[in-house]
Amino acid sequence: MRSGLSIARAVRVGELRAADALEHCINRIAATDRRVNAFTDLTLERARREADAIDAQRARGAPLPPLAGLPYAVKNLFDIEGLTTRAGSKVRLGEPAATADAVLVQRLRDAGAVLLGALNMDEFAYGFTTENSHVGPCRNPHDLTRVAGGSSGGSAAAVAAGQVPLTLGSDTNGSIRVPASLCGVFGMKPTFGRLTRRGSFPFVASIDHLGPFASTVEDLAASYDVMQGADALDPGCHATRVQPVLAHTERGADGLRGLRIGMLGGYFDEHAGPVARAAVRMAATALGATPDVVWPDAALARAAAFVTTASEGGALHLARLRTRAAEFEPLSVDRFIAGALQPAEWYVRAQRFRRLYREHVQALFTEWDVLLAPATPVQATPIGAEQFELNGVMVPARPSLGLLSQPISFAGCPVVTVPLWPMGLHALPIGVQVIAAPWREDLALRVARTLEAVGVARAPTAVL
Amino acid sequence: MTAATDTDDTADYVRSAARFLDLPLTEAQAQRVAGHLTRTKAMVSLLRNAPLADDLEPAEVYCPAPFPDADPEANAP
Repeated sequence: MRSGLSIARAVRVGELRAADALEHCINRIAATDRRVNAFTDLTLERARREADAIDAQRARGAPLPPLAGLPYAVKNLFDIEGLTTRAGSKVRLGEPAATADAVLVQRLRDAGAVLLGALNMDEFAYGFTTENSHVGPCRNPHDLTRVAGGSSGGSAAAVAAGQVPLTLGSDTNGSIRVPASLCGVFGMKPTFGRLTRRGSFPFVASIDHLGPFASTVEDLAASYDVMQGADALDPGCHATRVQPVLAHTERGADGLRGLRIGMLGGYFDEHAGPVARAAVRMAATALGATPDVVWPDAALARAAAFVTTASEGGALHLARLRTRAAEFEPLSVDRFIAGALQPAEWYVRAQRFRRLYREHVQALFTEWDVLLAPATPVQATPIGAEQFELNGVMVPARPSLGLLSQPISFAGCPVVTVPLWPMGLHALPIGVQVIAAPWREDLALRVARTLEAVGVARAPTAVL
Repeated sequence: MTAATDTDDTADYVRSAARFLDLPLTEAQAQRVAGHLTRTKAMVSLLRNAPLADDLEPAEVYCPAPFPDADPEANAP
C-alpha cells in the first residue's frame, strides 16, 4: 500500500487517477475484509463521486487541494451524511441518518480526501479489543486469531491490512494508541481540545479526543494539519487557530536538535511486559533518551480516569440502559450500569484530582520536551482471552490493555504512537508512545518521524 | 468489615440505587454490576488517600463564552 501523500502527489502530477487509487482500495477491501472485519459500511457511490470530482478538477487544470484523491475511512462513531451513526451499537439501529458529515470529515473532504466507509469499533467506544458482538470481532491483520485492539480497532486494522492509507478514530483512554500498538501502525492522539469533536458520537466528553491512523508519520501530520481549526460550537475545542506541523516533520538530521528526551520508568516500567520494555528501550537508544524519568501520580491518574469514564459513560447511556440493556454489548453493559450507579463523590474527587494532576504534568514538561513509554503492556492477545500474564501476574485482559495509555490522556497530552517490532518483522508489533506537552504535537511528530527515518519504527502492510 | 460483607453491601447498594433510578436489574446483573463497582471502589481508595485541599476545584472543561479581547470600558461612549 502506498502512503496517502504519495497518492495525493501522484494524482496532482497526473501519474495516477484518483479513481484508480480508489479502485485499488476497493479491491483490497474485497480481498481481505471478510477475514479482517474492519469495515462496517462502505460508501462506494460517494467515494466514486468524490474521486471522479478530483480527476475532473485536474483535467480542467484547476489547482488540487492537499489530500486530493487520498482514500480514507472513519470509525463508525463519526457522522457520515446519509448513514445512521451507530457507534458500534445495535441500540442505535433505526435512529435517523446523519444530515451532515462530522466536522473532521467535512475538513478532509474539503482537502480532497475520498471517504470509503465506516469502521468497526467497541460498542460506544467502551473497550480496548473491538470484540464487537453485534458485527463480529475485528481481527488483527498480522495474526487473525488475535485482537486488533480498541476501541478504534477497525481504524488500525484497515491501515495495517493496506485497505486504506488513512483512517480516523477516537481516543478516551487509549482507543487510538492501543490499536495502533497492536496492529503496528502510526496513530496520533492530539492534545485534548485541539480537534473539534462535533458530529462524532461521544463517550466521555471531558476526555474524548479524535485523531488519525496512518502508515507514515507524514500522513499523520498532513491529515492533522487539514483537520485543525477553531470550532466555537464544540465546547471542548479549545484551539483558536491552526498550527501546521507537516513542515516540522521533515527536518532530517536536525529533527532532534535541542530536544530533551526522556524514557518513563516507575509505573510505566512496572506495568510493561518484556517485549514492551524492549520496544521502548529500542526507541530510547535510537534517540539517546535519558532513562527512568518519573511521571507524576500515574496510578492515581489511571484510577481517576477509570472513575470519570464510568460515571460520564454510564450517565450518558442511562436512559437507554433503562429500556434496552439487553441489546447492549454483553462485554460492556454491566460496566455502563456500574458507572451510572457510582456515587457523585467519586466523580467529583476524580475531577478535583485532575486539576492538581495537570499542574504536576505541566511541571514535568519544564524539564523535558518529549517522553517515551510503551503504548500497551503486551502485544495483541488472542480473541476471547479473559486474562494475560503481566510480569508473573494474571491480569484481566480487556481493561489492562489501557494501563499505560490512560494516565497520559487524562492529562490531555498529545501522543504519537509509533510501531516497533522488537521480535522481528515476522512477529507481532508493539507501540511506543511519544508524548509531548499540551499543544506541542509538533515535537511528538518530529521525534516519531526521526524514529521512522532511522528504521526503528515502521508500519508494513500485513501479508493477507 | 469482611470482604464478603463488603460485597453484600455493594450488591445491596446496587439494587437500591438501580431501583431509585428506575433501572431494572436481574439478580444476576446486580451481582455482576456489584463486582464492577467493588473493583472501582478499590481504585477510588487510592484517590481517597490523595491529599486534596478544600479549595481545589474540579478541572474545568466547559467554557461558557470566549474571554473578551477588550475590557467593556474600552467601547464605552
